[in-house]
Amino acid sequence: MKILVTVKRVPDPETSIKVKPDGTGIVTDNIKWVVNPFDEIGVEEALRIKEKVAGSEVVLVSIGDKVAQEQLRTGLAMGADRAILVLADDLDPLGVARVLAKLVDDEKPDLIIMGKQAIDDDSNAVGQMLAELLGWPQGTFASQIELSDDQKSASVTREVDGGLETLSFPLPGVITADLRLNEPRYASLPGIMKARKKELKEIPVADLGVDVTPRVTITKMEPPPSREAGKIVASVEELVNLLHTEAKVI
Amino acid sequence: MIEWTEQHVMIRDAMRKFVETEIKPNLEELEHGDSPPYDVIRKMFTSFGMDEAARATFEKRIARERAAEKNGGVAENGKRREGDIDTAGMQLIPIIELCRYCPGIVTAMGVSMGLTASAIMSKGTIRQKERWALPLLTFEKIGAWAITEPGSGSDAFGGMKSTARRNGDGYVLNGNKTFITNGPYADTIVFICKLDDGSEAKDRKMLTFVLDRGMAGLNQSAPMRKMGLHSSPTGELFLDDVQVEKERLLGETEDSPARAGTKASFSMERAGVAAMALGIVEQCRELSVDYARTRVAFGKPIGEFQLIQLKLAKMEVARMNLQNIIFRQIEIIASGKSLDLAEASACKLYAAQAAMEVALEAVQLFGGNGYMAEFQVEQLCRDAKVLQIYAGTDEIQISQIARSLLAH
Ligand SMILES: Cc1cc2nc3c(=O)[nH]c(=O)nc-3n(C[C@H](O)[C@H](O)[C@H](O)COP(=O)(O)OP(=O)(O)OC[C@H]3O[C@@H](n4cnc5c(N)ncnc54)[C@H](O)[C@@H]3O)c2cc1C
Repeated sequence: MKILVTVKRVPDPETSIKVKPDGTGIVTDNIKWVVNPFDEIGVEEALRIKEKVAGSEVVLVSIGDKVAQEQLRTGLAMGADRAILVLADDLDPLGVARVLAKLVDDEKPDLIIMGKQAIDDDSNAVGQMLAELLGWPQGTFASQIELSDDQKSASVTREVDGGLETLSFPLPGVITADLRLNEPRYASLPGIMKARKKELKEIPVADLGVDVTPRVTITKMEPPPSREAGKIVASVEELVNLLHTEAKVI
Repeated sequence: MIEWTEQHVMIRDAMRKFVETEIKPNLEELEHGDSPPYDVIRKMFTSFGMDEAARATFEKRIARERAAEKNGGVAENGKRREGDIDTAGMQLIPIIELCRYCPGIVTAMGVSMGLTASAIMSKGTIRQKERWALPLLTFEKIGAWAITEPGSGSDAFGGMKSTARRNGDGYVLNGNKTFITNGPYADTIVFICKLDDGSEAKDRKMLTFVLDRGMAGLNQSAPMRKMGLHSSPTGELFLDDVQVEKERLLGETEDSPARAGTKASFSMERAGVAAMALGIVEQCRELSVDYARTRVAFGKPIGEFQLIQLKLAKMEVARMNLQNIIFRQIEIIASGKSLDLAEASACKLYAAQAAMEVALEAVQLFGGNGYMAEFQVEQLCRDAKVLQIYAGTDEIQISQIARSLLAH
């Protein structure tokens, strides 16, 4: 079975993010970039399916700058078979979904696994839009995926408010990965050595003939308000008094 | 090689992630608890496929050796191929990354799969390699390499008292070894001693034997208490009339050049120390720069004081020098050569002193916090000291460098 997995390049969740003074974006100097953690979970899940279903192929897709090669190589080092990098700047979620839909036309995968969202802009939109564009069933926020023995259908357990919901649908389909789906493996050292020789195809977005005009623009970014220093009070009476008069919480 | 390759950076990032998730949170237990480091080393081996890679390399090498044996020649080392730089870096980068937190783990690992397995690989027969070296290379088993004795360290060959006496087809072994890394837990022990054939002690042949844990007459002590490197268990070995068959004599002949093989081990061990030093220096520098930015004294960050700047600048110089030494080592490994003993000594001497100096300066820069265990530089400083002592003391490196200069 052929599985397409998305791999987005995002800032390491551990790095501290600074917003540019003019509010047009974040400062990208000296930032460490990683594979979007939810996408990494998606890659792991695809590799586990590949290990179970003989003859499977895992194809990675990233859309963005040329440097996203690094993240694709990481996925290849984990064990994916080949990668496609669509070179494009600043697409909005619909643009990304359209590019992916076009790639799906060409690649004809049996399953698409994506992170439920990218941790940079947290849109949580592309998986749903892609399923809609393709007219495929979708199972979002998956915490467990089971394929039928003939791989013609999938059963997806989703983490929803207040409990778990299990959906079954025929494939091809789109599944988005939640945090508890699995724990991604480390890229093995022999895997890292082999990754260098695997195919990584670059396609300029213009070659795909897809309308990617953004419908969403970012007008302004600002950091959350910084926390003010605490205050040390001398007695319980003073505390109660301040909670009432200053903080106005009691 | 003038900079890390893309593959190197990927290995570094993957290792760094492993260290941050598997080692950093368990540092307290590894350094101050009673758990030996072997579980975490094994987890690293399986996570990164290092066990399978070691097995594959081993099998290729044995196949080459068997082929050569048939043709009556000696197996030739492979020529340099594309990707060898990446592979060579693969050996050193994990050492660097682990040493940012835990030089002890590197010592325990390096002695087992480096020193002990290498001794068997360089001098053993194919049968001995398959029986004892392979499980060490995959870290299925833990190895120890024992040359130092209570009465002889720097003068390991000259002062050695451990003996082997011929006994029928086999030997009887006696002696005490001390400061032996992994000694308390080792499954496989390479034991170096002298053949007591009645001749003068200085004329006796050096012989190397492989012992298994639990053999009659072999005692392995509990871990010794020490200044640092707590995550690397160190112990004593006591051999009291241990009976061995000839199949435990490395090379299965008394005429293999034991001393030359041991010197090759020294050379490799010294190369590993530079990578360890780089890890310690990188971490001390990083922590110190952060601290210099944030710690305020006399109304400004201490990084604005010139005396603190001097410390930071010296740390950076040491880091650059060590990195360049590593680049040269990677080049040399990749081209299938090895450093000659004098150069290996020079690198080891510089690396050990740089790590010690940087770690001490880091403690100083942290002030009282530097002396407290909570701030990691305290541990790195205690750990760094060992680099000037084991694998040949600074003094011994100096005399080896000078001897090679004066020899011509
Ligand atoms: C943590 C740790 C782990 C170790 N692991 C192992 C191991 O796994 N296997 C093993 O076999 N050994 C091991 N060792 C032993 C180590 O290799 C020796 O401690 C080291 O070689 C020094 O020998 P020594 O302790 O006998 O010191 P000595 O040789 O007694 O030296 C004492 C002092 O005299 C100096 N000195 C000696 N000779 C000269 C000279 N010719 N010129 C000038 N100065 C000289 C030394 O530099 C040193 O300062 C380990 C040691 C430590 C601390």
